[in-house]
Amino acid sequence: MDDIILDVRDISKIYMQGKIPVNALHDVTFYVKKGEFVSIMGPSGSGKSTLMGIVGCLEKPTAGKVIIDGIEVTSVSDGQLPRIRREKIGFVFQHYNLLNSLTALGNVELAMRFSKVSRQERVERAETLLKKLGLGDRLNHRPTELSGGEQQRVSIARAMANWPAIILADEPTGEVDSKTRDAIVETFKLLKSRGQTIIVVTHDPDVAKHCDRVLRIVDGTVVDSD
Amino acid sequence: MFDIIIRSATQRKVRSGLTVSGIALGIFALVVMGAMSENFNQTFENSMSLTSDKIRVFAESGMFGGGLTDDKVPDVKRVPGVKDAYGILLTTFDEDQMGMSGKQIFALPPEKSRIALDPVKLKAGRFLEPGDTYQILVGTSIAGEYDLQIGSKLEIHDKNFTVIGILEYTGSFFDSTAAIPLETAQDIYNLEHSLSTIFAVPEEGIDSDILAKRIELNVKGTSTLSPRELQEQASQSLLIFSVITISSALLAAIIGGLSVMNTMLMSVTERTREFGILRAMGAETKDILLITLGEAALLGIIGGLLGIGIGSAAVYLINLWLAGKGIILFAITQRLLVVALLFATVIGTISGLYPAYRATKMSPMEALRYG
Ligand SMILES: Nc1ncnc2c1ncn2[C@@H]1O[C@H](COP(=O)(O)OP(=O)(O)O)[C@@H](O)[C@H]1O
Ligand SMILES: [Mg+2]
Repeated sequence: MDDIILDVRDISKIYMQGKIPVNALHDVTFYVKKGEFVSIMGPSGSGKSTLMGIVGCLEKPTAGKVIIDGIEVTSVSDGQLPRIRREKIGFVFQHYNLLNSLTALGNVELAMRFSKVSRQERVERAETLLKKLGLGDRLNHRPTELSGGEQQRVSIARAMANWPAIILADEPTGEVDSKTRDAIVETFKLLKSRGQTIIVVTHDPDVAKHCDRVLRIVDGTVVDSD
Repeated sequence: MFDIIIRSATQRKVRSGLTVSGIALGIFALVVMGAMSENFNQTFENSMSLTSDKIRVFAESGMFGGGLTDDKVPDVKRVPGVKDAYGILLTTFDEDQMGMSGKQIFALPPEKSRIALDPVKLKAGRFLEPGDTYQILVGTSIAGEYDLQIGSKLEIHDKNFTVIGILEYTGSFFDSTAAIPLETAQDIYNLEHSLSTIFAVPEEGIDSDILAKRIELNVKGTSTLSPRELQEQASQSLLIFSVITISSALLAAIIGGLSVMNTMLMSVTERTREFGILRAMGAETKDILLITLGEAALLGIIGGLLGIGIGSAAVYLINLWLAGKGIILFAITQRLLVVALLFATVIGTISGLYPAYRATKMSPMEALRYG
């Protein structure tokens, strides 16, 4: 059991929309092993992003437990959460969410600033990562000067920057063409081959087919895992 | 984090520029008003230190009420503890400007001019001497404005005077003072035997406060100001002046601060997602505070430097222009510059507090949900 890196138990999340409760997630239970490449599929509005937010420690569930790398993150104090986010989680967003004011290198390096890595090491690590992801000649480009696929690879490099326990990607190929999608999937597979645990939310069966396992989520709960 | 702060501020050039201008304008006002008040302070302090040893004796009815006459001088001199006493008649130098220039004529017995002006030294020429009539001793500002040399003629109240001495620069009211013999003044102004005030010099080791009271008791119809009382009276009006000028400038600077708050609130609201991303990446609350407060402080500092720069330049130019008229209106002091810059920074930072607080309250889920 000690190769389980993510353990999600009986998670539920109720949002209040005014006075009306919205049951975004209920009774979600699953686990992910170290080094697994897992995809989460489900219709829009089924609660995938909500789940990613909770696993990524961006918000707390209404009930249930999340254990990452042996730490019960759902009972950690708010003051400790930023550290958990830095050390355990790397996020890849659908819209890349790079800071336009910074270069590719700057964006990757930014992820390490909050964890007191020396400047020299930050730049070295960011360069190595970007080169590994095929962006060696794009280091000093701004996001606006990069293609969608390049931007998404920069954001993957950013997610990798602190060597997180888990990479969470919420529809990372949602806005790119099939060629770019394949390049992104290849990037994930490269990371997986180095032992990185990855969870990808996707609508695309061509992404899911590369995964070790698919979790299906419908109406706020996991219906089947294969 | 500094590069992020700078990038964020420079990304919105126009808005940051306007905000900086707002602060700069406030600080400009602060510098100009402050410089004016500093100048008054300095002149006052210099004047006080130059005349601190004399007790002023007035008519009971006050300095301008008239009634103080020559015959009181021997009475004052007779009071035990008084080393010397002499009468002074003060009139305005520029009658057509009704004294607005601050220049004055100091009419005194010629033989007393050296001790009355002590410790002011001569730049050229000599002090007034017994027997002088239409001779005049001028301060540097007056000499500068009228381009006077020893031997130059100067017209006062339709009479021609010959410059026989020019005083050294003192930074006090002596610079805008011209001294002429008392009898000449009483004559040309038709003020026979009238005096504005009597200067009483205490003997060595005599307490001037006590001596001032003794003069009041011994010489009928007089009131006195000891150097300490004069200082107190003057610093009070000086304080009021400072408060009025500085507080109007502070108001201007606070309005600049409000524009920082407005800019920062807009900037923070626009960057909701950016802060969400930073939080999702593990930024601490203090990192977010640093970025937002840093930007606000930076706007304040740049605005402050700009305001100080423009304000100092303006003050310098006005001083230069007024120097020709023998007036110095502003003094830029180090403490004024330090206070102005500190104030700009503090205003910027304080104005950034609420926007920064708002930024820390933004949910990291923003990064995930909205595209
Ligand atoms: N802040 C919120 N307030 C109210 N309802 C929300 C909020 N966030 C999400 N929801 C609702 O929760 C459900 C799940 O949303 P989400 O997790 O974004 O779904 P998915 O990512 O699978 O499309 C949806 O019905 C959505 O409207
Ligand atoms: Mg979603």
